[in-house]
Amino acid sequence: MPAEFPSSSKNVPSSQLLNLNIPANSEAIATAVDTISETLGQLNIPEQKRLEIGLAIQEALANAVVHGCKNDPSKHVRCQLESDPLGRILIIVTDPGPGFNANLLSDPTAREKLYGDHGRGVYLIRQLMDEVHFERNGNQIRMWKY
Amino acid sequence: MDINVRKRLQVQVIQLRGPLRLGDAVDGLRNTIEEAVGNGDTRIVINLAEVPMIDSSGIGLLVRYLASLKQRGGNLKLVQPSKFTVQTLRLLGVLNLFEVFGDDDAAVESFA
Repeated sequence: MPAEFPSSSKNVPSSQLLNLNIPANSEAIATAVDTISETLGQLNIPEQKRLEIGLAIQEALANAVVHGCKNDPSKHVRCQLESDPLGRILIIVTDPGPGFNANLLSDPTAREKLYGDHGRGVYLIRQLMDEVHFERNGNQIRMWKY
Repeated sequence: MDINVRKRLQVQVIQLRGPLRLGDAVDGLRNTIEEAVGNGDTRIVINLAEVPMIDSSGIGLLVRYLASLKQRGGNLKLVQPSKFTVQTLRLLGVLNLFEVFGDDDAAVESFA
């Protein structure tokens, strides 16, 4: 299970690997996810970890585009990929929307929600990543993979 | 995403290749299933052997059609999901909603 607010990674300096400004549309998300996965591959990140990070980024970007940008292709989402000296990966996704309170989201694994067609993205991110923080009123997500 | 459809023993077998994620891939699969349902086909098998990942929009699509096809007396069954897809479905608590098979023939014959 991911920890919500551990202290371990907050003050460790990290170096930037990618800084993407992504148009708010689904094809641009796919291209960005593929680019990031390729970069992680070049860093010899194991495949399982690459898949988990890639899916978490897919979900974060989808939320940013659908909710933060309201699918307006004239808007953009920023996605930063960083690594720290311990080899941990940090992803920061920022959208121009008003944000949201992630603590108010319902549990998509509740019996009555299992057949729902939406509402799983943030839950999945929290399952796949080791640290997840929502900042700036929720329009920025910072997530770490150790 | 590539989507190939064939019909065998009154079952629509949909073969996917590529990530099943928000955008063209999910839209394409939705259109394919809608077309099958529009033709009266409610027995569907989806082969996931060449699908490296499914995002939450893809999973939402699968569970939505699983429910609606079952309500019409049909079903939606999965073939050869990758280890990561199984992990994702399990994390979201929906793996056990689906019947999962090792090959198309077994999935098709299970409708008999």
